[in-house]
Amino acid sequence: MMKPGVSASALGSSGLGSSGLGSSGLSSSGLGSSALSSVLEPRAVRTAEFAVDRVAAIHRCADVLEEIDAVQPAYREAMLARERVMSTYMGAGVAIPHGLDGSRALVKRDALAVLRLPGGVEWDGGRVTVCVAIAARGDGHIEMLAALAEILLDPVRARALREATDPHAIVAMIGSAGDQR
Amino acid sequence: MIRTATVRSAAGLHARAAAAVAAAAARCPAPVTVRRDDRPAVPADSVLSLLTLAATRGTELILEATGDDAETSLDTVASVIEADPEPVRG
Repeated sequence: MMKPGVSASALGSSGLGSSGLGSSGLSSSGLGSSALSSVLEPRAVRTAEFAVDRVAAIHRCADVLEEIDAVQPAYREAMLARERVMSTYMGAGVAIPHGLDGSRALVKRDALAVLRLPGGVEWDGGRVTVCVAIAARGDGHIEMLAALAEILLDPVRARALREATDPHAIVAMIGSAGDQR
Repeated sequence: MIRTATVRSAAGLHARAAAAVAAAAARCPAPVTVRRDDRPAVPADSVLSLLTLAATRGTELILEATGDDAETSLDTVASVIEADPEPVRG
């Protein structure tokens, strides 16, 4: 039971005395114990996409983020501009397109979109088969990146993500990543 | 040898920042590890590993390196972590 006047965000990880990967239900970003489970919906997972190049793939990512009303239309260009600054290819066949730092105001709510491209897309020297597009208003971006990075660092989990064809399975894989932090 | 470095960028240690740290660490003569609090240390030359730290502005990171080149390597990595570049405007 929290004391009156103590906000959830103030407790964080250090306040609870558990600075490791413990079972604290509160994250410093305020997204809760499962950083990703609330930001990825099945309708934002598309498993049979095709794109001729990474620009086309990013356009499809923007399409989905707009369809779920997570971003304003101008976020699309922010994602393309961000890609021009530096490739969002993260290795393990996965790219994480997202808008530039200054584009947070274009995000209506934190959300992910996952696009699987079975044919693959050449991406700055790598080959991408899964795009995890990120829309974040604030520090949620950092927690999302952290959870995705943990998946990609594990070859077994990365492969499972690349090969999954069921949107609910993909939601479960990514949603549970936040639980393990 | 241990050295601390605090993330100053308002955007935190995001993908672009982590890439810069990893690139600098890869060029250092001594391998550098990074951790926060009592969590396991990760290699500073791995972008994905750095991202798992989930470092936001104000997060203090603990760097470690050994050997003759430890000090210069730690200085280099720390300076990149603490860099606060102007955000790129689109």
